[in-house]
Amino acid sequence: MMREFKFMLRDKAVWVWLSLAFVFSLAAVSLGLNEVSQQNAEIAELKQLDRAERRTNLAAQADWGSAAYYTFHITYDPPSDFAYAAIGQRDVSPWKHRIRMLALEGQIYETDANNPDFALVGRFDFAFVASLIAPLLVVLLLFDLRSGEQVAGRLRLIEASAASGAKLWWSRAGLRVSALAVALCVPLIAGGLVSGAPILTLAFCVGAVCVYLAFWTMLTLLLAPATRTGAYNLTTMLGTWLLLCAVVPAILTQLIERVVPLPDGGEIVLAQREAVNDAWDLPREATYEPFLQRYPQWADHTAWNDEDGFEWKWYYAFQQVGDQTAEPLSQSYRVGQARRDELARWSSLISPATLMQRTMERLAGTDMQAAIDYEQDVRQFHGVLRDWYYARLFKAEVFDADVAIETIPTFDPVGR
Amino acid sequence: MTAIVVQDLRVSRGGTEVLKGISFSVDPGSVYALLGGNGAGKSTTLLTLLGFLTPDSGSASVLDNDVTQCVSRVRQQIAYLPEAATLYPHLNAYENLEYFLDLAGRKTTQLELDQALDEVGLQLESRSRHMEDYSKGMRQKVAISLAILRETPVLLLDEPTSGLDPVAIDEFNALVRNLAGLGKSILMVTHDVYGACQVANRIGLLRRGQLVGSFDAPAGERIETDRVHATFAERATA
Ligand SMILES: Nc1ncnc2c1ncn2[C@@H]1O[C@H](COP(=O)(O)OP(=O)(O)OP(=O)(O)O)[C@@H](O)[C@H]1O
Ligand SMILES: [Mg+2]
Repeated sequence: MMREFKFMLRDKAVWVWLSLAFVFSLAAVSLGLNEVSQQNAEIAELKQLDRAERRTNLAAQADWGSAAYYTFHITYDPPSDFAYAAIGQRDVSPWKHRIRMLALEGQIYETDANNPDFALVGRFDFAFVASLIAPLLVVLLLFDLRSGEQVAGRLRLIEASAASGAKLWWSRAGLRVSALAVALCVPLIAGGLVSGAPILTLAFCVGAVCVYLAFWTMLTLLLAPATRTGAYNLTTMLGTWLLLCAVVPAILTQLIERVVPLPDGGEIVLAQREAVNDAWDLPREATYEPFLQRYPQWADHTAWNDEDGFEWKWYYAFQQVGDQTAEPLSQSYRVGQARRDELARWSSLISPATLMQRTMERLAGTDMQAAIDYEQDVRQFHGVLRDWYYARLFKAEVFDADVAIETIPTFDPVGR
Repeated sequence: MTAIVVQDLRVSRGGTEVLKGISFSVDPGSVYALLGGNGAGKSTTLLTLLGFLTPDSGSASVLDNDVTQCVSRVRQQIAYLPEAATLYPHLNAYENLEYFLDLAGRKTTQLELDQALDEVGLQLESRSRHMEDYSKGMRQKVAISLAILRETPVLLLDEPTSGLDPVAIDEFNALVRNLAGLGKSILMVTHDVYGACQVANRIGLLRRGQLVGSFDAPAGERIETDRVHATFAERATA
């Protein structure tokens, strides 16, 4: 082992690839940490503004209805301590929504408009380096391990000298790939210490990286024999890499998207807006009936005070009905998302790069499930907010800005 | 015990039969020279003895170990000097020797390395230079010293004198005689009729995969160069 270790240290090509691995990993981790701290800073700033703005707005209102109309609430999904390693869905799905008492579905899916489709390759984070670049480095380190000796005319001498040829190749390959794992994981662990990621999560991630590298090592040793030339082996391995890291994931994504069609976010927004807009011209009962199905406790409080006037409680009731109208679409959107995610999870079993990426996003809490969970948190908070306002609107309580400022619910992301 | 026994050995490479039933043996402490023209099958014979090629039929054994069955035990007992041996160009002579000897499970001292390099006549000042700067003969000298340093009972040498200057060849021949005197069994492939006659106890003449002649040195004497040369030439033109 010592002999092969010293031998490896003298190999300039090994140094080149290892340095490259280290630089890539370092860059990815730094960018990830930077992104996470930016998101955290943005959240902190939004929280501060949110509180101040709500105070000013509530203080300026005269009734609960306009208070509800003019006050916004920030909701957010704070990045986990490990999110720096895999930004994942935080790049494409919203992790913050500024919402108010109006119909919610539109507020959630409005942001869908800038949902980018370039997400095929993804962000340059550690998950990207580990799942796509690391296999390439394994290939570059190992494709010529035996064929290089063959071409140089040393293979027979080596195999005739070594007690066990197989053991020699394994230890050479093992050392190179172990060094690669170290070069990749040192920045990862350093980043984890900086951001305070749990040791167990870090350990699990390092373990996953090692297993993944071991898979590529075996694949390379299997597919790059001594009997071929280095150029032939390199071509084979680059082809394999392209297939496993780009073609197969792309085909699977395409297949899944075709098998599970999703309603457009825009459709949901439209359905909800139409319902809300139409409500103005409908008889009041047409709004109250579906509303009371959901909130029977206010059945005795729908009486109109001023027959020709405007009633906030009715206004918010038809906002709620707008959400109810959009609900089947929104529901099927969520079910579709979850179904796609489920299929992607299973299909990742035949796509190691995807599996690696998903594992890291799961560890980082940045996967699709986390995005769906956050959306549910927002819905849940909106429910709490509604309950709070309904109690004041339907019971026709007198507005008191100070009480409102003191007791209004605020979004709390605790729980995940 | 005979060092090497080859019996009716048939070996094919790339679909054609290269060795067509050859038999010979090498006694312990003796030098056997395998002579023959290009493509006669000399290197093939050595590769088969090392277990790199599988015989179609016949048998070969080294120190009573069948070469197809006990590959690793056979290889441990053989120091092999490949045809046109190359070592690592980015290492110097010492580092190369250390590496390959360690690979074979042998630890050596600096003194041992220097003694072996003295024996093959590699200048002291070149030894710490990377081997990429070496001439062909210098590389060959390091490879020969590697074979000696293995300290195995059997040596298989494929054209050991190729690239060596006349002085170095003479030194090498003396070295081979010396090793045989120490009890080593040596099978040596060469084109050099004169050299073979200088060192060999027995010469086998290989032609198109068949042994067409065999010459033994009379006790205490050398094989006559003229006889071998005549047979070599006659068969070559026949
Ligand atoms: N890798 C190979 N695949 C197929 N045939 C081969 C291979 N190597 C050698 N041969 C054939 O085997 C025959 C014997 O080759 P071998 O290398 O044993 O000759 P040799 O006696 O060592 O010749 P030389 O003096 O040129 O080294 C030749 O006809 C050659 O074409
Ligand atoms: Mg040859």
